[in-house]
Amino acid sequence: MEFDEMKKVWDAQNNQPVYNIDEKALLDRIQSKMDIVLRATSISEWCLILINLIVGIVLLNRDPFRSGNIFLSIEAGWMFLVVVYLAINRSRRIKASRQFDRSVRGDLDHSISLLDYQMRISQIVSWNLLPLGLIMIGAGWESGKLWKVSLVILISFSLALYVTRAGYRSNKKRKRILLELKEKLDADI
Amino acid sequence: MTEKQRQEILEEWLRLHKGIIFKIVRAYTISDHDDLFQEIMVQVWRSIPSFRKECAVSTWLYRIALNTAIRWVKKEKKHSDTRSLDQVQHLLQEDTLTNEERLNWLYTEIHKLDKIDRSLVLLLLEGFSYKEMSAILGIGESNVGVKINRIKKQLIAKSKKFDTDGI
Repeated sequence: MEFDEMKKVWDAQNNQPVYNIDEKALLDRIQSKMDIVLRATSISEWCLILINLIVGIVLLNRDPFRSGNIFLSIEAGWMFLVVVYLAINRSRRIKASRQFDRSVRGDLDHSISLLDYQMRISQIVSWNLLPLGLIMIGAGWESGKLWKVSLVILISFSLALYVTRAGYRSNKKRKRILLELKEKLDADI
Repeated sequence: MTEKQRQEILEEWLRLHKGIIFKIVRAYTISDHDDLFQEIMVQVWRSIPSFRKECAVSTWLYRIALNTAIRWVKKEKKHSDTRSLDQVQHLLQEDTLTNEERLNWLYTEIHKLDKIDRSLVLLLLEGFSYKEMSAILGIGESNVGVKINRIKKQLIAKSKKFDTDGI
């Protein structure tokens, strides 16, 4: 069979509707899925921003200046710095997402850049646990509750680290698949 | 753009161009037609406000559908839809799934290609020019030409075997 003949075979299916669509079910599914997509895009960013903001405010409300526990004010300041950093990154991400064209390559580049962003945030969150843990241990030591605070930090930070590392690994795997696709697209030049 | 206008556009596009989506769905998955179709339609829905009429609707749909199909992986199903199979409404009901032997052979061969080559062969079979393919895929025309020549040779060689031996 020559290619022209293959094209005729291909074109012949245009006159044979293969499926019937349940349009109502389709629209319902699109709507429910859109909600998931919209929420999932920024949910992690907002969670991180809000958690840091709330913890920072709670710490300030404990009036660290009067209690004389300097570690509490350092911790609150650190939390607010992280909030600012995350907000700036979020705004940059949204701005950058408008720069990709709608070709297959542009779409792959966009997806890869989003995964890079999510991986960077995962790494920052992981590394952020170290100074935060030290500051909290300092605060616990100053208030005479070193062991109690250390135990809480160990458990909660281990959990947080496990979750962020799992997210990082999953994104890394997805990025590898997309990079392979991009390589295939560029091959044969 | 209101939700209603968006819905009307989607219904219109679907009415006129559903064949495009069906072909891509069939070319990119053997058993998960429903899932891939749903994923493509979600992306088409999202793309409606950014459609500026700079290209034909069919070209736009090809772009969106191919982008989605290339990046689509079956396991996404686990994250996006946790309902049991009994609860899932089926979007697509097979009407007259063709028994045309040569068309089935063609789809089988397309399935054997990697995802990028699959997109090229679909565009070629749809009659897109190298220039259009280059714009849709975001690669140079010469690269398109080289790939197409290789794929065409492969397909023609296999078709000769099919003509003489059958599937």
